[in-house]
Amino acid sequence: MNNTLLSITIALLFGIGTFMILRKDIIKIVLGMTILSHSANLLIFSSGITGGKTVPIITEEIAQHTTGIIFTDDLVNGILAPIVPEGTEMLFVDPMVQALTLTAIVISLATTSFLLILSYRVYKEHNTTDVSKVRRLRG
Amino acid sequence: MDMYHNIPILLVAVPIFFAAITVFLRSRFKLQKALNTTVFAGLFIMSLALLLHVWENGIVVYEVGEWGKYGIILVADLLGSGMVVLSSFISMMAMIYGQDYMDKETALDTTFFPLFNIMVAGLNGIFLTGDLFNLFVFFEVLVMASCGLIVLTGRGDHTPMLYKIEAIFKYLVLNMFSIIVMLTAIASLYATVGTLNMADISVKLAQLSAAGTMPWHVYMIALMFIVVFGYKAAMFPLHFWLADVHPSAPAPIHAMLSGMVIKVGIYGILRIHYLIFPDVLFLTRPIILILSLVTIGVGAASAIGQYDLKRMLAYSSVSQIGYVLLGVGMGSVYTTTAALMYLVNHAMAKSMLFLATGETLYHAGTKDIRKMGGFIRTSPFLATIFLMGSMSIAGLPPMGGFIAKFVVFDSGLEAGFYAPVAIALLFAIFTLFYLFRTWMTIFWGELKEPENESDFIARSPTPQIKVALALLAVAVIFFGVYPEPLFALASEITAQLFDPQPYIDAVLGGQVR
Repeated sequence: MNNTLLSITIALLFGIGTFMILRKDIIKIVLGMTILSHSANLLIFSSGITGGKTVPIITEEIAQHTTGIIFTDDLVNGILAPIVPEGTEMLFVDPMVQALTLTAIVISLATTSFLLILSYRVYKEHNTTDVSKVRRLRG
Repeated sequence: MDMYHNIPILLVAVPIFFAAITVFLRSRFKLQKALNTTVFAGLFIMSLALLLHVWENGIVVYEVGEWGKYGIILVADLLGSGMVVLSSFISMMAMIYGQDYMDKETALDTTFFPLFNIMVAGLNGIFLTGDLFNLFVFFEVLVMASCGLIVLTGRGDHTPMLYKIEAIFKYLVLNMFSIIVMLTAIASLYATVGTLNMADISVKLAQLSAAGTMPWHVYMIALMFIVVFGYKAAMFPLHFWLADVHPSAPAPIHAMLSGMVIKVGIYGILRIHYLIFPDVLFLTRPIILILSLVTIGVGAASAIGQYDLKRMLAYSSVSQIGYVLLGVGMGSVYTTTAALMYLVNHAMAKSMLFLATGETLYHAGTKDIRKMGGFIRTSPFLATIFLMGSMSIAGLPPMGGFIAKFVVFDSGLEAGFYAPVAIALLFAIFTLFYLFRTWMTIFWGELKEPENESDFIARSPTPQIKVALALLAVAVIFFGVYPEPLFALASEITAQLFDPQPYIDAVLGGQVR
């Protein structure tokens, strides 16, 4: 149920973002870009929500109970780490996904702020926020 | 651990380190000049040493943080290190050239050196990384640095700031969109196989494919990567931004963008689709082949109608990248070798032509071809360099472009692609026409304004600029008269591409500590 809701949310966000970047106003385009990049971030994040229970820090106590399934590939049975086959209890949340999402968020923060400054400059130079009027570069 | 083992990380870390140093040294221009020339020469020598070492002894793998295949790894195989050598050579020339070309107050004393260093770090990172997410990060590094470089001004750069702002707005928005597509593809791939290491993904997808349980969305992911890299390489439906963005950049940056940065797309297609998606090639090859033919046609046809010199050459870049994609799309071993040779020769000749163009525009004081004429009297040096560049792009002997065009057509005929080769040949004649018409208009005939002759002569290239142009010209002629080493290297790279097992063994052979 939760996964379905999450998928629908991501799909909606992609739709909203795509709609926004097709508008003519520069600020709407920038906002659409932000929404799109956050929906991509959510998509990465969603691939890690697989029902793990513990934080991925292996203490000695936990290490005794692990079967090592997370870090080894069992290629004969088609098991690919860290994807765990059905029926096996997954102990940890996938830590990689959170690192990836954090990196992507930081990068989208930087590009968005640069884009906002740029749209301010476009407004100052052209005196409009309508992109259909910002077209001096025509060969 | 021998010293070659550390070169991949140095090629990325040294430019980033000096980007920080040059921020602090920005008021000391003489020191900056010497320092940056040394650093870029050092990078070129290091990359050359790496290429020779890889050619002799096999693939070099550097594990950042020693996390094995779970961490970020840098892999220097022949394709990666070869591209790094090419990009180091062109960036060294652009750096030597740019020190005299760029405006002192607004570019050299502010952001030119740091951003150029970061751009080179991004390029080297893209070519060397073995991790899919890391590839995305380096793409962003490259894009942000080149956005900052496009708005800088140089002396032969007659683009007002108004236009530059508009150009980088387009560049950044479209790039962000392509990056989001890439991120979505990477996320889907990670959710499918649970790893980001390219060699590891390759092994796992091969296993899924052998077991017959390849999920259908892997095909979609492969096509999404075509969109991303096609955008970077300016493949036909995604080529429209290039003619606006590249001509707005000052000449050294224009040379880097058109010479190296659009080749990143070709590199990505070769790396991702041959290593990770060899099972989807039956689908991607025809797409690339058809789109490359349209790219050649659209680029050449658009270039003919242009009177703005830089814009015309930008459309020429679109057309030429089509020839590289044609070689990739035809898909036999020989055609891929030909595509790689075309890539190298085009990168050299095009960056030389763009550097010469920047000086020509400064010399003429305008960027409209119709207002120029007779400059062979006032600057025979520029006329020679421009002619050599045009000859190489148009494919006339004894320049490198002749050999490149010859092997592309020869390999295409050998593989039985008669109609595509015929179309490409037709547009090669277009290329010859528009480049030589331009050269004749600019340099041949009478001076349009004889009373300004002393002004033109006063705006001649400085010795440093001449050195950079002459070195590039030597390289272009060298690969024209003696292409055997390049051909041997390209064949070896293609062999590695078609059989990625050594790459996979080198990456996954190490133990996880």
